[in-house]
Amino acid sequence: MEYDKILEMLGRKEFLVVGKNVTRSDALDKVLGKARYTADYVPRGTTLLKVYRSSIPHGIIKRIELDEALRVPGVEGIYTGADVTGSNQIGYALPDQPFLNDVKVHYAGDPVALICARDEYALEAASEKIHVEYEELPPVLDVDASLAEDAPLVHDGGNVAVTTRIRKGDAEKGFREADVEVSDTYWSPYQEHMYLETEAAYAVPERDKVTVICNGQSPFLIREKVAHIMGWDLNQVRIIQALTGGGFGGKDDQGPLVAAYAAFAAHKLGRPVAHVWSRDESVKFSNKRFPARIRYRSGANSEGRVTSIEVDITLECGAYANRSPFWLWRQTAHAAGPYEVHNCSIDGRAVYTTKVYGGSFRGFGDMALHFAAESQMDKLSYKLGMDPIDFRLRNVLVEGGRTTCDQVLDHSVGIKECLEAVRDASDWASHREPVRDGSKVRGYGVGLAYHGISTSRSTPDWSAASLIMNPDGSVTYRTGIVEIGQGSPFGHAKIVAEIIGVDPAAIRIELPDTDSTLDAKPTHGSRGLMLGGTAAAKAALKLRESMVACAAELLEVPSGRIDLAEGRAFDRENPGTGISVRELAEEMYVRGYDPAVHGFFKAPERFFDPETGLGVNYSVYTFAATVAEVEVDTETGEAAVLRVWPAMDCGKAIDPLMVEGQIEGAVSQGMGLVLMENIELKAGHVINPGFKDYVVPSSMDTPQIEPVIIVEKPYRYGAFGAKGVGEPAIISVVPTITNAIHHATGIRFNELPIRPWTIHKALKEAGN
Amino acid sequence: MRVNFGLNGAPVTVDAEPYTSLVDMLRDELDAKSVKKGCEQGECGACTVLLDGSPVASCLVLAPQVEGRYVTTLEGLEKNSLMIDLREAFMENGAVQCGFCTPGMLISAYALLRDNPHPTEREVKRGIEGNICRCTGFTKILEAILDAAERIAPE
Repeated sequence: MEYDKILEMLGRKEFLVVGKNVTRSDALDKVLGKARYTADYVPRGTTLLKVYRSSIPHGIIKRIELDEALRVPGVEGIYTGADVTGSNQIGYALPDQPFLNDVKVHYAGDPVALICARDEYALEAASEKIHVEYEELPPVLDVDASLAEDAPLVHDGGNVAVTTRIRKGDAEKGFREADVEVSDTYWSPYQEHMYLETEAAYAVPERDKVTVICNGQSPFLIREKVAHIMGWDLNQVRIIQALTGGGFGGKDDQGPLVAAYAAFAAHKLGRPVAHVWSRDESVKFSNKRFPARIRYRSGANSEGRVTSIEVDITLECGAYANRSPFWLWRQTAHAAGPYEVHNCSIDGRAVYTTKVYGGSFRGFGDMALHFAAESQMDKLSYKLGMDPIDFRLRNVLVEGGRTTCDQVLDHSVGIKECLEAVRDASDWASHREPVRDGSKVRGYGVGLAYHGISTSRSTPDWSAASLIMNPDGSVTYRTGIVEIGQGSPFGHAKIVAEIIGVDPAAIRIELPDTDSTLDAKPTHGSRGLMLGGTAAAKAALKLRESMVACAAELLEVPSGRIDLAEGRAFDRENPGTGISVRELAEEMYVRGYDPAVHGFFKAPERFFDPETGLGVNYSVYTFAATVAEVEVDTETGEAAVLRVWPAMDCGKAIDPLMVEGQIEGAVSQGMGLVLMENIELKAGHVINPGFKDYVVPSSMDTPQIEPVIIVEKPYRYGAFGAKGVGEPAIISVVPTITNAIHHATGIRFNELPIRPWTIHKALKEAGN
Repeated sequence: MRVNFGLNGAPVTVDAEPYTSLVDMLRDELDAKSVKKGCEQGECGACTVLLDGSPVASCLVLAPQVEGRYVTTLEGLEKNSLMIDLREAFMENGAVQCGFCTPGMLISAYALLRDNPHPTEREVKRGIEGNICRCTGFTKILEAILDAAERIAPE
């Protein structure tokens, strides 16, 4: 199926709902306050669960003493690793993460026991009565300490969890061809997701089954992990994904853990258990954005072409590898940025420390990578005396170009158009000199990004969806892609509506439920709309076939003449002759036309050479360019983002308003990382676990976001040409702001976040 | 202890521990599930309700403090014409993503427009300063509130 021909296939000149702004169907419940999130399902009086965690960052568990805690009134049960019947291992990429630690603890917060009690007061009292005797080991608190020769081992296999490499062309030869060269080291820190809804799960046990209502990002991964811990088959675990109050990647990683704690305890206890994290727990113990140190050397010739890059990435895993192999690979594979560079030498390593572990977060490594890559591009342009945008335009990927991994991009490459659009919209040429106004100085910066959609290398990738035409013409839609704010399931409904010619509002989107929903793989990697929507389209095309065949029989016209639109099936040559979908639906049952269908989409094969790192890594890439105006107060060191001009090649905007929403939200979250947000640790303990001390952008920080420019270079093999938006939106924001700060102040800040006192100090040192 | 107060226009009596927070009392005892718990530190705004007409973080109010007073949650404003305007503006402007901040945000926006029907953008920003949204970046929320202000029928 090639979606650039979809209109032709549907026999239409233009889309009915795709590409138009339609109010999303979940909005009404949400504005009425009737939308139900996980904690809203928990009946009053349900047993509560709390995870008892290690108080030290590194040590051997000698003894766990529970007797006193079990005697606390209201305590109903306490479980440790010794009680686990299936596997006590819940690591994602590597088997390095115990479900309940009973041998060793790897960070201050490692789960040691699960306490069940009638209320929070009993949980707290019991926590204080559990005694764990440790043989303390020296903590490992940063990557250099971890890589030191005599470093204490965090895990038995050594402190390097995984390595990556790319060798393309001849990097040294490329540097010999360069007329200018720049090198620097960039640091990108932990970032906390701070979704408004904390992690939660509500588990209801049966004899040989457990049902969990929860808020992850992959019901199927959660099912797999729960079954693994229980030692059960997949059909003994039912995961229902409630509406979810933000994910940003964090709940992809935490979802399986939280659900498994609740499911395991509910099964042991033999009654329902609710497990809702406090904000304090969420900030201290959930995975953060992986910190990374990137050393980057790049060279360019006097014609303004980048000739070579040499990149060295050290990723800090924290206590567990978690997603680091995939994260590090993504940084490695995207290392050149959205540019054609023939000579690349890239090495990466992910390193354990005894701190809260990193993990999935919107952008998945590409924020840190593009911060480095785009700072380098800016520096090269200044060194060559070229305009930063002109210089980039000489190097950007175009159709037929080759990525860092030597993947040929034969279509759907719109970065040049994005960059030209933001250059013109921002009137870039008129703002090449910083403007001083009293103590304040303003500058303009540019940043580009590209981001491979969905999983990489040869990881199998698929999606699935199902549709039921009910006898009254209403439609039931099921997808395993979850609603976490981004609205992908509603995007699917629009795709279905387009194909079967009904109002999107007539399509009811059921909550993902692993007992009745096909495995669609996770809602991550910006794949929810692109992969999930393609499966939806496949299902809808099957249903359409059934509907058309039935209508042709009823209307006694050839099926080729039947169209479906506005809730009717009709003869194209004689539009007055038709039948409503309501009537048609009943006839489908009566006459034996299948009213229930599923769509299964297997993504195109990719391949990859592990020796060189070269190959076809991602099905397709989304591209983004932004320009921002930033103001720095030279007296206080405060920086504020005033205006942002965003552009994105998202293939096809299924709903432009929702694309804008993703981009605007990403500007805020990206700005948070650059200017405000910082997890503070003291001896391995997170010490700012709340909105008060971990400050995220508020309404007062909101910049003026100029009209979002949408460039549409459709992806031929999926979802009406749509490519993922959520992650690409945030990646370019980071270097755009840092490059604007440099433009305003003449100073480069290579460590994030860049806070007022840092700027103030640097300005003072520069004699400003 | 028994606490008597007005909830969404009706008198209620609840048996609550003196240390119970208003948000817990509303959610657990009175099924006002529109009130969300985002931080329990008074910092995120998800639990915003009106207490005697003023927006407050209900996680910072203890049950005994509402004795004899009036509490309004989103449930109580379902048929209110200003809230209807706000709801429609939120939906049409794309101001709703995950929806977890939405009830508290709507309560703050309601209090703002009730007292100042034609605010400037800066006044809107101030009015929702205590309500964190991590999805939208606030842009469409600000647009929605300004749009709702346009919709308010002249008196």
